[in-house]
Amino acid sequence: MIKKFTKKFGNVELFYTKINNSYYLVNKDLIKLSKKIKYKPESIGLFLGKEENGRFTPSLALLEILSKKSKDKIYVKDIGEIDFLYGKDLRERHIIKIEGEIKDGFLKFVQNEYDENLGLGKIKIKNGKIKIRNKIDRGDFLRRER
Amino acid sequence: MKDLLERYRSLGIKVKKFNIKKSIRITNKIKVSNLINRLKNKGILLKKIGFLDKGFYVTKSRFSLASTPEYLLGYFFIQEAASQLPAEILEPEGIVLDMCASPGGKTIQLAEKAKVVIALENQHNRIKPLLNNLERVSVKNCIVYNIDARKFEFKVDKILLDAPCSGNFIMDNKWFKRQTVENFEKNSELQKELISAAIGNLKKGGELVYSTCSLEPEENEFVIDYALKNFDIDVVKIKCPGDNAFTRIFGKKLDKRIRYCKRLLPHKTKTQGFFIAKLRKND
Ligand SMILES: C[S@@+](CC[C@H](N)C(=O)[O-])C[C@H]1O[C@@H](n2cnc3c(N)ncnc32)[C@H](O)[C@@H]1O
Repeated sequence: MIKKFTKKFGNVELFYTKINNSYYLVNKDLIKLSKKIKYKPESIGLFLGKEENGRFTPSLALLEILSKKSKDKIYVKDIGEIDFLYGKDLRERHIIKIEGEIKDGFLKFVQNEYDENLGLGKIKIKNGKIKIRNKIDRGDFLRRER
Repeated sequence: MKDLLERYRSLGIKVKKFNIKKSIRITNKIKVSNLINRLKNKGILLKKIGFLDKGFYVTKSRFSLASTPEYLLGYFFIQEAASQLPAEILEPEGIVLDMCASPGGKTIQLAEKAKVVIALENQHNRIKPLLNNLERVSVKNCIVYNIDARKFEFKVDKILLDAPCSGNFIMDNKWFKRQTVENFEKNSELQKELISAAIGNLKKGGELVYSTCSLEPEENEFVIDYALKNFDIDVVKIKCPGDNAFTRIFGKKLDKRIRYCKRLLPHKTKTQGFFIAKLRKND
């Protein structure tokens, strides 16, 4: 299921393992070590996302990895960065540029001016105007702490 | 409460509440100078903490640090200065066991130097915050177990035991109202069990750092004294701010080697109260 998601963004090979319905990025050392330990881990390596009700939700760490190799990006200004991290959608005035194809319903990595990933957005085009719907953003780390 | 104040006088601890400076630790997800400049442009000023590797005081800040994009991108961890010491003093390498891990500030520090960190946390509701922090900082070499560290069995060369404790009055305004000597003694029993388990999991020649944010001898010197009496271990001298730990206290004579352990007294170090010991298992 994770493959179906990553395939949308090109050919990214990830060495992963699964615990229950969660995916983790691992390496041989981690796997070798975990086999020697007799308990069941909560997590191993980097959390990549989970399956729920037949749907895959990527982790923010996975978006960060995929965005590095992707051509589907939206770069946003400072104000856009803050708004997006507060869970808001993006408007044209927030946007510096869009890379890749611009089509209604397309998913794009949302990047700040340093090309760092802030999350994932979906393009919405209405009356010729572009809006980016906030699908996932890193502000979630803060919201989870509350 | 009066009893505790009296006790603190005899321990040489000045009970003067002050606001300690906010501090952060820069992770290895960004170059230190880059983050300093980025935060400076936003009106957040940092000053290097002399006794730490990547620790900085926040001398000026217009916003809540946790809501900055830089925090959300995992470029720093909000971590009090003294609590950054134990992981540095352990000098992590190879496979490291972090016995009491959540919320994970020290786990992240260990993971930057270790090949793999095995992180344990027995409280189920404290697993989530730990996993969130590991994801935010993109830690790739950590395995997390929801388990009582007293029951965990696996031998390693390096262990951090940042034990649960009664805390200290700098971090908790109501500390004197909340705490009792009975509570210190209860913690002490758990800490002795934890340190026994830690030594059991240490390979010969391996090293263990024991730390608490408590200033109570029951939770510190007495725990180390117990370990020295019951196991074939030695105390390692450490470079660390603070006073030498007690070897005579409350009418008890303790192992002399305990003087190499450090107690950080807030009125001297300008940090929270802290205790750090480094032990080595003899060959
Ligand atoms: C002082 S805090 C650790 C702080 C952590 N090392 C850090 O730097 O963020 C102690 C932790 O140990 C956990 N703990 C308490 N008893 C434990 C046990 N028997 N086994 C494992 N963890 C335990 C507590 O739930 C708490 O999260």
